[in-house]
Amino acid sequence: MNAARLLNRLGFYAAVAAPFVVVAVAEHPFFVQIAIGVAVSAILALAWDILSRTGQVSLGHAAFFGMGGYGSALLTPVFGPVLGWAAGILLCGAVAVLLGAVTLRLRRLYFTIATLSFSLSIQVFILVTPDLTGGSTGIMPPVIAGGSPPHQLLFITACLVVAATVSDIFLGPRFRPAFFMIRNNPHLAAASGVPVTRLKILAFAVSGMVAGLAGACYAGLYGYVIPEDVFTTNWNVLPLAVTILGGMDTTLGPIIGAVALRALEEVARHFVGGVGYQVVYGAVIILFIVGMPVGLVGFARGLVRRRRKPAAEADTVKARLAS
Amino acid sequence: MTIASVSQAVLLSLTIAGLYAAVAAGLTLTVGVTRIINFAHGEFVMLGAFLTYWLHTRYALSPWLGMAASGVALGLFSMLVYRVFLARVLKQDEHNQLLATLGLSILLLNIAVILWSPDPRVMQAPALLPSLRLGDVSIPGNNFAVALVGLTLFLVMLWIKTHTRYGTQMRFASDDPELALHAGINVDRVFELSFVIGGAAAGVSGGLVALVLYVQPTVGVDLVIRAFAIIALGGLGNIPGALVGAAILALAEGLTSTFVPQGGSWGFGVAFLLLLLVLIVRPSGLFGKQVQT
Repeated sequence: MNAARLLNRLGFYAAVAAPFVVVAVAEHPFFVQIAIGVAVSAILALAWDILSRTGQVSLGHAAFFGMGGYGSALLTPVFGPVLGWAAGILLCGAVAVLLGAVTLRLRRLYFTIATLSFSLSIQVFILVTPDLTGGSTGIMPPVIAGGSPPHQLLFITACLVVAATVSDIFLGPRFRPAFFMIRNNPHLAAASGVPVTRLKILAFAVSGMVAGLAGACYAGLYGYVIPEDVFTTNWNVLPLAVTILGGMDTTLGPIIGAVALRALEEVARHFVGGVGYQVVYGAVIILFIVGMPVGLVGFARGLVRRRRKPAAEADTVKARLAS
Repeated sequence: MTIASVSQAVLLSLTIAGLYAAVAAGLTLTVGVTRIINFAHGEFVMLGAFLTYWLHTRYALSPWLGMAASGVALGLFSMLVYRVFLARVLKQDEHNQLLATLGLSILLLNIAVILWSPDPRVMQAPALLPSLRLGDVSIPGNNFAVALVGLTLFLVMLWIKTHTRYGTQMRFASDDPELALHAGINVDRVFELSFVIGGAAAGVSGGLVALVLYVQPTVGVDLVIRAFAIIALGGLGNIPGALVGAAILALAEGLTSTFVPQGGSWGFGVAFLLLLLVLIVRPSGLFGKQVQT
């Protein structure tokens, strides 16, 4: 990576983190909670997007989200808080590698169904092993930052920057062409010498770990989670809605999407109350897939490009006239 | 565990298999022809269930008529959905099609939650058929009716696809849409028709749901997940495979929930472990054409 690109990226991360830090410093309780929710959704959505770049549409990310929380709860007593978290996230990666290997040959629909059924099976597993996982009564993961919301927000913002960095690495010159080639034409990719199997499983492992990070953050907010908190369809669907709204195949998209979706959600809650507000998830997915498949970020980029193009053309015309 | 209790559980599971087969047959017909993976099929079933329920509780309409009305209503609704929404999505890639119908499913589910609340309801209907007694084993009349209607609906789907002119066109259009177009088949029309037939089947299946399950907004999701598992077991677009898949799934669920301690919560998990195992061994389902990938 050259110096200019590095500087550009550092500026980008600072710009992403800045609003969250401002909210944390201002210590407004309502906005701190909103910002925490947005950051957790953004991390989970980035995880989903990384996998989707290889053409694998997952409906099972709640499994890794929940496992991140449960892993940190179960492994902290064994390894201590820092290593326990790391071990919980590594566990998600290991499970993701296994799932990735199993679902490798499945075509699109079958892949999506398999991931969905995987997340349901994990929930069943938790419910039937109360001795290990606490069953339906839940589990107590370590609390982040002693339970102070502004400090928790700072910590989760740091995690978001980590997730954004990981996402950028996979959008960089080393992985981007291979990932999109696997999505568009796996046979061509394989014939061109792209290690399809290895990259698909790598994407799965990374995606699982980032989703686990989001889950560990979420579970650490109150230090108490029950299976219905984390292994629900909500967390399977949320990353799709967020990413499609913001823009797939970008790092900024899922972050912008998380902010925009949360805003829409709050509006919907105001009108329809606590149940049914997810109607906005459905509406957003439909409207954007039909009307604006590139998402908000893609649309904005298109606008900027269109602005620049006439200007550039005018320059060449001037240059021609001058010569 | 006696012979009577085992055969009771097996027979009850098989009646539920009738419902699963009806839902899955409609779905696999649509998916097999249009290649649109319609996640909203479950919500069509849910709407059918609510319609049958409301027609019975508000207007005392017999569930038999309610089922028929749901079939017609959901057929028309599918046509609307196809024209307004799916025809546009068809041109996009498969990735986006999947996401679009998923969005529709979430939208309809939550509209139902807003309109009717998430509470489960029970349709208080007199049994449609007398209960069936075989020695020590008895099957409630409504379960018997579900099995019969489910099987009939399944056979109708099969008949449409294999023995009618439209069925032939459907198979042609799904095998090679471009060639079918050159052969003078109105492919768009055939796609729409298969979507409408699938939607009507979903509406009737909804009537069956109202007879034996709780009527609630999430019932469609529960069923469509199972239906996808069934068509994955049976092979995409393979209608007879869907019947076998439905029987396997219903038996696996029914037997674990009856005979495993605390098996009630296991049912779903066991069914899906089964599905995962089958997909690992045969990635295109038990009876699907094996495609080299």
